[in-house]
Amino acid sequence: MREVTATVLENVQIAENIYSLTFATEEEISVRPGQFCMLGVAGYPLRRPIAICKAERKRFTVCYQLKGGGTKSLATNYTKGEKLSVLLPLGNGFFVKPEEKKVAIVGGGVGIFPLISAIRAFAGEKEIFAYMGFRNKEAVCMEYEMQRGKSLTLCTDDGSLGFHGNAVQAFMKEVNEVRPDVVLSCGPTPMLRALKAAMQGRDIPTFVSLEERMGCGIGACLVCVCDRTGGTNARVCKDGPVFEIGEVEL
Amino acid sequence: MADLRVNICGVELKNPVIPASGTFGFGREFDGIYDISVLGGVATKGLTLEPRLGNPVPRIAESRGVILNAVGLQNPGVEAFIEHDLAWLKSKTRVVANVAGRTLEDYAGICARLDGLVDFIELNISCPNVRSGGMAFGIRACDVKEVTHVAKSALKKTPLIVKLSPNVESIAANARAAEEGGADCISLINTLTGMAIDIERRKPIIANNTGGVSGAGVKPIAVRMVYEASHAVTIPVIGMGGITCAEDAIEFLMAGASAVQVGTQNFTDTLACPKIIQGISAWCDRHGVEKVSELTNTLKLN
Ligand SMILES: Cc1cc2nc3c(=O)[nH]c(=O)nc-3n(C[C@H](O)[C@H](O)[C@H](O)COP(=O)(O)OP(=O)(O)OC[C@H]3O[C@@H](n4cnc5c(N)ncnc54)[C@H](O)[C@@H]3O)c2cc1C
Ligand SMILES: Cc1cc2nc3c(=O)[nH]c(=O)nc-3n(C[C@H](O)[C@H](O)[C@H](O)COP(=O)(O)O)c2cc1C
Ligand code: FES
Repeated sequence: MREVTATVLENVQIAENIYSLTFATEEEISVRPGQFCMLGVAGYPLRRPIAICKAERKRFTVCYQLKGGGTKSLATNYTKGEKLSVLLPLGNGFFVKPEEKKVAIVGGGVGIFPLISAIRAFAGEKEIFAYMGFRNKEAVCMEYEMQRGKSLTLCTDDGSLGFHGNAVQAFMKEVNEVRPDVVLSCGPTPMLRALKAAMQGRDIPTFVSLEERMGCGIGACLVCVCDRTGGTNARVCKDGPVFEIGEVEL
Repeated sequence: MADLRVNICGVELKNPVIPASGTFGFGREFDGIYDISVLGGVATKGLTLEPRLGNPVPRIAESRGVILNAVGLQNPGVEAFIEHDLAWLKSKTRVVANVAGRTLEDYAGICARLDGLVDFIELNISCPNVRSGGMAFGIRACDVKEVTHVAKSALKKTPLIVKLSPNVESIAANARAAEEGGADCISLINTLTGMAIDIERRKPIIANNTGGVSGAGVKPIAVRMVYEASHAVTIPVIGMGGITCAEDAIEFLMAGASAVQVGTQNFTDTLACPKIIQGISAWCDRHGVEKVSELTNTLKLN
């Protein structure tokens, strides 16, 4: 975990409202799948937490959706050569045990981006079954990255492409056939809740990556907590963002 | 090289820069990024006698140039701090233990527990007083004096800093009340109460509805209040509110502060405090200032 000055190499739109932003750094950065960074956007007091999609030696890529002022400024003001301050790598990331060979990946919305780092990291050594949900055909992006596993099921809410429905529905149709050893997921809270309900009693370890508004990003300010089952709470930025699904209240 | 040391209530700090309570935990996370022994001190997350879980999320929001927070004093309790963090933090730098309570007895209890163990106790009096129907201790001068007196009476060794709330009628009157109650030092400002609304949902962004406003945008208010408070008392003053750089910190020193705290900027720039320390040193060198302590209260009004 450190603060680096990163230089924009490329910042391009890859789908409706989605941009891919690649940085160069002076030093090599080693990142676990599922870890994130905090981007300092000039003029905004709070850094923006964004998952690291790809990291290769001295460059890394994030993908962001336009939401409010910070992401809009990223899209308009950060062209090639611009510099920004980045805190990384942050959080725990996804862990898969050596004996867990079949990995199901269930993602929706901007939740697909941390999962892409998992697909990239595990594709060589594991059998990956990916279920990725989008609003519609126009929102689909990064197909090339998502295809690295054994199978990819694209889902759209409006049925304009692939499976008509969300990624959890697509996954649950195949779960008994695929029999994954572990499930990794990230997406909107209702999707994660549905996954939690569907996985109840199945005895398949299931991990979710959570989102929460952040201050420091390193575990110091206690702004980003999520409720743990049992009445305590955990810091999404430091104890997470990845949690065992049964360990947190969604 | 300018001499950056400052002396507050007989305790020497190696420089006047202290990360503000609530933005720096107990220092461990930031120490993973830079060696926090470069700091003048660390103000801890607000401590209470019992562990507290804090407020529901979202606990933070942003508005132009400022942030709002309502963490709700989540902390592991003073005993856990003493057991797990205190010795480590003391080995690094001066410890300013920020403490809070719901009743006068809470304040007395936590001060007694920490007396002699830390370098300073900083009383957060912006907390609701259960007995006054939830009105904060820090609003009325008479309550400020009373809670200060109760805390001071529980202390034999450690100097007491009273951290003033800006949400008050007269900051000068409350500064005087703290001095009369026995404070050894005052610090200000705590956050200003504010609200930010998500117009799509027609709801406040923060779960608690209101939150404390801090960050660059509050600085002029904070500088004015530090000026007024420091001219109302004879005890030393620690200034804060919106400091983002060395020049901001120097404004506070000139307005009457002997040291400064830096809060929100730790989020914007993780290395803010060391940069501010270096910047103050460079400014002093450029301006022929030999001791940073000479800057305190050197404002010339128009
Ligand atoms: C660990 C983590 C990983 C993330 N990864 C991605 C990603 O890969 N791609 C992507 O598009 N988005 C991701 N997000 C969400 C992203 O952080 C927000 O969409 C973004 O901060 C919005 O900023 P803004 O200025 O555009 O919006 P505004 O609404 O103007 O932001 C105001 C404040 O709220 C915060 N905020 C708003 N929405 C969110 C949110 N959903 N989560 C956390 N903070 C929020 C902002 O950071 C900022 O502090 C991630 C969030 C977290 C916590
Ligand atoms: C996230 C957060 C948590 C805070 N928690 C505390 C606290 O526990 N006790 C306290 O006295 N002040 C607390 N504060 C107030 C700061 O210590 C400081 O007074 C205020 O933020 C103004 O300084 P700044 O503008 O540099 O942030 C908190 C501020 C923030 C942003
Ligand atoms: S953002 Fe500060 S603890 Fe998580």
